[in-house]
Amino acid sequence: MNIKEYISSGIVQSYVMGLASKEEQAEFEQLCLEYPELVAARNIFELSLEKRAFEDTPHPPAFLKEQFINYINQNTTTNQSKVIQMEPAIPLAQSGSGLRWLAVASVIFLLVSSWLAYRFYNETITLKAELQHTKEAQANLGTRLKILEDYEKMVINPNVAVVNLTPMPEKSPASANIYWDSTTSNVYLIIKNMPKLPSDKQYQLWALIDGKPKDLGLFDIKDDHKVMLKMTDTRKAEAFAITVEKRGNTSGPDMDQLQMMGKTQL
Amino acid sequence: MISKFTYGEAELVTQLQHRNNQAFTYLYDNYSKALYGVISQIVPDRESADDILQEVFINIWRKIETYDISKGRLFTWMLNIARNAAIDKIRSKSYRNELKNQALPDDVSMLGDQFVKSKADETGLKKVLGKLKKEQRELIELSYFQGFTQEEISKGLNIPLGTVKTRMRSALLQLRSMIEQ
Repeated sequence: MNIKEYISSGIVQSYVMGLASKEEQAEFEQLCLEYPELVAARNIFELSLEKRAFEDTPHPPAFLKEQFINYINQNTTTNQSKVIQMEPAIPLAQSGSGLRWLAVASVIFLLVSSWLAYRFYNETITLKAELQHTKEAQANLGTRLKILEDYEKMVINPNVAVVNLTPMPEKSPASANIYWDSTTSNVYLIIKNMPKLPSDKQYQLWALIDGKPKDLGLFDIKDDHKVMLKMTDTRKAEAFAITVEKRGNTSGPDMDQLQMMGKTQL
Repeated sequence: MISKFTYGEAELVTQLQHRNNQAFTYLYDNYSKALYGVISQIVPDRESADDILQEVFINIWRKIETYDISKGRLFTWMLNIARNAAIDKIRSKSYRNELKNQALPDDVSMLGDQFVKSKADETGLKKVLGKLKKEQRELIELSYFQGFTQEEISKGLNIPLGTVKTRMRSALLQLRSMIEQ
């Protein structure tokens, strides 16, 4: 290759001016890597052409700069792929097809609305369940609060006496108190520690009035012990006792099964 | 130069490729006028030239990563983007329809008579072209400013392809000697 001949063949001009064919371009770029004088010739022509391009040129209108700066500012905040996706949208807008835009907007609106509706529906179901749960919890708390309030009244009531029930000898160790209101005859049994019974048996609380046992009620020991039972009509009770009876006992106390007993101050 | 500071070309390219918006503002301030001049030489219609300039800068912004400094100067790269965009415009059906009466015919042979003298002809490269012989000027006009291939010119002007190539070569070398003064 005679590089001087090549340089003066007009290829430099046709390459720089974008008139060379693909093959000529590839060859030129390859030769530039080998011949610095070819690069130099290219540079000189490029600079001359550039200089001419700045001569006596009209001013572009100022609003174009504003548009361009706005464009790049808007698009640098979004990512690259979004910019590329915008390209097909341009001819769409230019075709003046407002209906298409409306259709696209409608579909987007529909999708967003459906999604919101679905979310609100799910949220409503969740909220309803939570509300139901809260109501139940509140009812439970109300019941327990009522019991505690009764208990509190009973404890601070000067007419209420505490009767300690003591376990009978040779029976399992147990602990329970009777809060006894001698004026209203209400009785509260607070069980602190009593063994669980087989399922066919129940404890039964008795009051001794005028030497006779009066049934105050059958009860079970549950896991959540500290049972508080409210029992009535125990005026003149001399003592309280707890026996173990058959479940649903209707007859008198089985004194062999007397577990605990406590005398009142009467 | 309009901006307070100037970039070296390599530094400018680096900043542009990092999508530094300040560098793009600098680019616009310094090169929009020259590119607008080239576009106006191809597309005389002012409004279309405005649109093309806008499109060209957006394309530069989008494609700046593909610019390879080893293959030529930044301005040469931008100039060819502008020239191609302008040629695409004048060859588009919508542009021809807009012009209606002045529609550019597909037949190149009609073009020789159609060069209308305009202000753009007295600027930049076109001013230099005016000093060339008619047959040389015609070839540069058709290829560089109208985007016809040498084969199309050969057919359109009914000149053998070999003659077109020889004339083109001498036209380009003539052009070189005139602008490299």
